[in-house]
Amino acid sequence: MDARAEQKYNLSVVRWFAVMAIVYLVVGASVGVYIASELAWPVLNFDIPQLTFGRLRPLHTNAVIFAFGGCTLMATAFYSVQRTCGVRLWSDKLAWFVFWGWNAIIVSAVITLPLGLTQGKEYAELEWPIDIAIAVVWLAYTFNFIMTIFNRKSSHIYVSNWFFLSMMVMITYLHVVNSLSIPVGLFKSYSIFSGVQDAMIQWWWGHNAVGFYLTAGFLGIMYYFVPKQANRPVYSYRLSVIHFWALTFGYVWLGAHHLQYTALPDWTGSLGAAVSLAMIIPSWGGAINGMMTLSGAWDKLRTDYTLRFLIMSLAFYAMSTFEGPVMSIKTVNALSHYTDWTIGHVHSGALGWVAMVGAGALYHLITRCFHTEMYSTKLVNVHFWFFTIGTVIYIVAMWVSGIMQGLMWRAYDEYGTLVYTFAESVEAMHPYYAMRAVGGAVFLTGAVIMLYNVLMTVKKSAAEGSVRQAQTAAVGA
Amino acid sequence: MSSLKEYFSTDWAAMTATDWVGTILTVVIFILMVIAYVYAYRPGNKAKLEERKYLVDDDERLDSGDKNGG
Repeated sequence: MDARAEQKYNLSVVRWFAVMAIVYLVVGASVGVYIASELAWPVLNFDIPQLTFGRLRPLHTNAVIFAFGGCTLMATAFYSVQRTCGVRLWSDKLAWFVFWGWNAIIVSAVITLPLGLTQGKEYAELEWPIDIAIAVVWLAYTFNFIMTIFNRKSSHIYVSNWFFLSMMVMITYLHVVNSLSIPVGLFKSYSIFSGVQDAMIQWWWGHNAVGFYLTAGFLGIMYYFVPKQANRPVYSYRLSVIHFWALTFGYVWLGAHHLQYTALPDWTGSLGAAVSLAMIIPSWGGAINGMMTLSGAWDKLRTDYTLRFLIMSLAFYAMSTFEGPVMSIKTVNALSHYTDWTIGHVHSGALGWVAMVGAGALYHLITRCFHTEMYSTKLVNVHFWFFTIGTVIYIVAMWVSGIMQGLMWRAYDEYGTLVYTFAESVEAMHPYYAMRAVGGAVFLTGAVIMLYNVLMTVKKSAAEGSVRQAQTAAVGA
Repeated sequence: MSSLKEYFSTDWAAMTATDWVGTILTVVIFILMVIAYVYAYRPGNKAKLEERKYLVDDDERLDSGDKNGG
């Protein structure tokens, strides 16, 4: 069976994307721990501009979102579309172009962001030549995926492919519109939008980078890998249809909730918040659908550590998709906005949902693409606990810190003057910033364990010659 | 906001082309969502939709079954 899959499908490009995803997870999380430590102990800036928080923070977000997240999405989409459509990728050459192109973009981000070359737009910092490269490579990825579906032998397009497609179409649209700018040099450009329109376009992109790239794309992963790892069909296909359409129609409205109490018209923020609250229904529907796939087989969680990642990720998905809409309500937003609560919310989604479901999917496909068992299943379990504990420490620290910040900033005395100076609120944050750095370090340790385990699995596979055997074995008709 | 009537009042004359496009789009999407819910949860469609979930289990059968045209 392994030989048949190896020869029928293009698993080589999937193997490379999978390994690089884990390398980038370690790199991105390392930068994250470093900048978290800088906030707790500013001496770590060393007065070197390239090492300051302002330069390294976009490097961290680009590394974890676009390098780790991107390689994970490309590995899993290319793997599952072949499996669910029963055909090889439409073009091997185009798949390799996507691999090398995406990695070249990541290298250019690693060089330009610490040098301070940035458009200053959150999650869209890279300068215009790199933006064009992103559009070209992303379209190549999308086109190869669509043509593979077009050539399918299956009668139906499985739901995971719908989610991947929705991500590809929407990210193309969002990236191109948000990146429209006037270049004034090779490494400098200005957005064609200005003022509140610029803010609205930026957060239309910003929230949908979360909604489509980190949610729809990773839900595509969930709908393929949870049933495969559990060895049971998804709980309700009808619920997955509703989940898909409600998410796709709903998510594009939410961006305005990032701009409550700004120059944006009041009704726009209210609309964003109202649709955010409505999104709890499909989000929880999807989370319940994934979890209930294990209905009647919960015992699998005792022994299947990969499945633990996938199911724990759904718990975090449910939690953060409830927390987000609550934070978008104006009265809550008045407290939470600009505080560390937002950072905690983002990381409950990024660490608890995206990284967890990504790790589970990568463990699943690595054993099937390298045609061998993991080097150590015990280390998979150790990794799981490092990820879970690290994430919990991180988000608890940010919750406490964020709510305390919000309360200190709004505290007035009987004369109507502020009770605390801003510097006092910064000082009060210090223990929580240290705690956040510890949580991040625990999470990073889990990522390093994963990288070690995967590299040893690759080495084991090479020693066994399992990939070569699968490539050359005679396969019956 | 003193009353619901005031809350829901609209100055139709002041609606711009952009307002109308947004309004129509919102209503159309709402209707499409209702259609999607009715389609997915209509008892008659249950068997047809739910049988599709087994496609993912079928993907180990590389040279037979649904992956190869039935």
